[in-house]
Amino acid sequence: MEESRDGDWTLVARKPYFGLPTACPVCLPVYIYLKFARCPFNLEINSAYPDSDQIPYVEGGTYVAYNNEKGGVIQQLKQDGVVDLDSEFSSLPEWVSMKAMMSSWLADAITYELWLGSGENSAKQIYYSDLPWVIGKVLFVKQVYDVKQRFNISKQNAEKKEEEIYDRAKAAYRALSTMLGEQDFLFENRPTSLDADLVGHVLFTLKALPEDSVIRAALLEHGNLVRYAERHKNDFLTSGQSSASASNFQPPPSAAQASSSSKPKRKPKREKTEEEKSFQRKAKYFIGAQLVAVLLFLSLLGSSSKADLDEDDED
Amino acid sequence: MAKPDEFKPDPPSENPKTEADDTDDENGDGGYEEEVEDTEEDELDEEEEDEPEPEPRVRTPQSAVRMQRAKLEGLFQRLQTQSVPLRVHDVLIKGNTKTKDYLIESEAALLKNCTTMQEILEVSRAVNFRLQALEVFDSVKITLDSGPPELPGTSNVIVEVQEAKSPLSGEIGAYTKAEARSSTVEGTLKFKNIFGHGDLWDGSFAYGWDHISELSAGVHFPRFRGSSFPLDVRAFLLSQDWLQFSSFKERSMGLSVALLSSRNHDLVYNLGWRTLTDPSQLASRSVRRQLGHSLLSSLKYTFKVDRRNSTLRPVRGYAFAATSQIAGLAPDSRCSRFLRQEVDLRYAIPLGILNSALNFGISGGIVFPWGAGFKNMPSPLPDRFFLGGNSSPISSLGGPTTVWGYRTRGLGPTESRRQLKSNDGDTEDAADPGVDFLGGDLAVTAFADLSLDFPLKWFRDRGIHGHIFASAGNLERLTQNAYKDFSLQKFVSSFRTSVGAGIVVPIQPFRLEVNYYYMMKKFEHDRGKPRFGVTFSM
Repeated sequence: MEESRDGDWTLVARKPYFGLPTACPVCLPVYIYLKFARCPFNLEINSAYPDSDQIPYVEGGTYVAYNNEKGGVIQQLKQDGVVDLDSEFSSLPEWVSMKAMMSSWLADAITYELWLGSGENSAKQIYYSDLPWVIGKVLFVKQVYDVKQRFNISKQNAEKKEEEIYDRAKAAYRALSTMLGEQDFLFENRPTSLDADLVGHVLFTLKALPEDSVIRAALLEHGNLVRYAERHKNDFLTSGQSSASASNFQPPPSAAQASSSSKPKRKPKREKTEEEKSFQRKAKYFIGAQLVAVLLFLSLLGSSSKADLDEDDED
Repeated sequence: MAKPDEFKPDPPSENPKTEADDTDDENGDGGYEEEVEDTEEDELDEEEEDEPEPEPRVRTPQSAVRMQRAKLEGLFQRLQTQSVPLRVHDVLIKGNTKTKDYLIESEAALLKNCTTMQEILEVSRAVNFRLQALEVFDSVKITLDSGPPELPGTSNVIVEVQEAKSPLSGEIGAYTKAEARSSTVEGTLKFKNIFGHGDLWDGSFAYGWDHISELSAGVHFPRFRGSSFPLDVRAFLLSQDWLQFSSFKERSMGLSVALLSSRNHDLVYNLGWRTLTDPSQLASRSVRRQLGHSLLSSLKYTFKVDRRNSTLRPVRGYAFAATSQIAGLAPDSRCSRFLRQEVDLRYAIPLGILNSALNFGISGGIVFPWGAGFKNMPSPLPDRFFLGGNSSPISSLGGPTTVWGYRTRGLGPTESRRQLKSNDGDTEDAADPGVDFLGGDLAVTAFADLSLDFPLKWFRDRGIHGHIFASAGNLERLTQNAYKDFSLQKFVSSFRTSVGAGIVVPIQPFRLEVNYYYMMKKFEHDRGKPRFGVTFSM
């Protein structure tokens, strides 16, 4: 794992595969979003924690934006003022509906296909190939069970649920294809987080899912979506790190240095509250009481032994 | 898991249960008079056969008793002054309905090598103790009977056992395990001898002083497949909470097999699935990198010699322990791989005044990953060395763990935790999240302790005494190329030191200390300050 030593932003994501910088469908949009923002960052891989909902996360110094907080990494980066590509669009009705559709219908389709559909082998490659076989096997079985619970799938309704999920995905593709047309981006020819989500979804579906995947076949019917994703892949993903002429991101907060040799600045000694003083006083009384109890016990034990000895002598 | 103490033969004054328990055993030979007398009578009878037959005399009951007594006194005289040659012809087992014969025969095998009466008595006591230690018998009786008439000078040993009526038992105790990192208080439920191999099945729950809780189930075979060593197999689910100190929780589940267990040697194989998590989501960068799943397949060998007169208050003697662990013993290269070595040395010198003694001790440890790219890899966080805590270094022989006065995981390399933004969105004004203690790959601790009795008899009678001590310790990282910057001079100069004095109350099997500590040298984030404190060890 490469170490980030220069204080830049670091994206911790899952391993690359299928020609993608990160093959995880949740991590890829974040990667693309940072690329759209031309934010210089290092990519580090975590292969030991496939069932973590904290990954992907972005860190810089002591700042960390986890994926399971505040609506996701991208939302957190926007809220914390680190990088925001959506400032002008996030209140538009079309934006909100597209965002909701992508984060529900398309995300569910990917999840279903990966764990319960034809993408089982892809899931194993992405999430468990760097773990010992036993652990990977158990985690995979557990994940499949969790996904079934999430979608409330049983033997009786499995086919119906599958059809529902695929139909929604197809409807989403139609809507997005209509909205995109032959533009470079979805809104005003500028990249937004919605573009990052869509490009990430399309690239993952085309590259990571097998050819007999239902949603892959449905996606291929919309040529403009495919061309759109391929174009941005060539422009943003295959080129090197972009230069840092950026106006869209804030540098990370200065990191406190690790450890034993450096001395962080002293902060003024905090006054103890009344509660803490009272607690410390009570703790001392407790320890004193315990000591007295132990000594009392020993003295009683000693005196009872002496009484027994006296009785034996009298006998 | 508790393991029976290594067998030590009883001193001659202690008497095992024998058939002659009700007799007045004045000489402490376990009441073997009648059976020995029979054998002696046979010998005397044989001797008498060679002599011309005297004229038959009429014996009164009183004279018969006098003759018996004289013979017994003669026998005791011979036992005390000379060896009485006697061999064991056969060992007969009685009373076992479920327990396999081989188990009892193997424990009693030493009897067949005995050549004298005294030796048979001594070994019989030892065999009785070993059979009782199996915990599957309610009582064990060993008697001597005369051997076959055609083989003079021989005897048969009869081992009569009474198997435990109730196969179920429970106990609560305090233990120090070879494979654990600390001492624990444990509650156990046992099922005894289900298959007749002396097998002990148990389920237990343990809680350790350093935030460990463990649920385990295991089986103990005293002799596995005829070997002279016991076999212990345990399945465990272990949980350790280090959120307060290092922002992670550890959970392990797996199998532990004690392959070799004797007084001085322990060999344990561990196979476990280990998961590190951070539910607080405040971990520092180094800890975040270590979160996730790993497979631990390791072999751990411990050699221990303890020649001190006592572990609670050593006055004379020495102790040495060395533990070597190699992890990564699996065909799968994706499991944790590291080498770990610990060494402990203790020495006690009596000073002769007020039962005083000077105790010295030094402990060291090192851990390093192995495999491709090992120089750039960090050592696993749970396997690093952490210093500090509420245990006394005098009693324990578990590697470098304690520097008096420093709190749990209270010194060594640290890293800032994640900083959360304050309500008004400003990171700089947010509350200080603190630091994570990361442990070290190299650790060294040392101490000197002077113990002495108080002048008052009341304290001396209860073993309560005082002590004055000094201790030092340090941790250093070596992995991820940090070893290139390692300097012995810098390591020695950055040792933390503390001094103090206190009262020691030995409460078997614990050593309770109430001390005052003063830090002579500490660093910025070290968690130690002048204070009173209590330590508990065993």
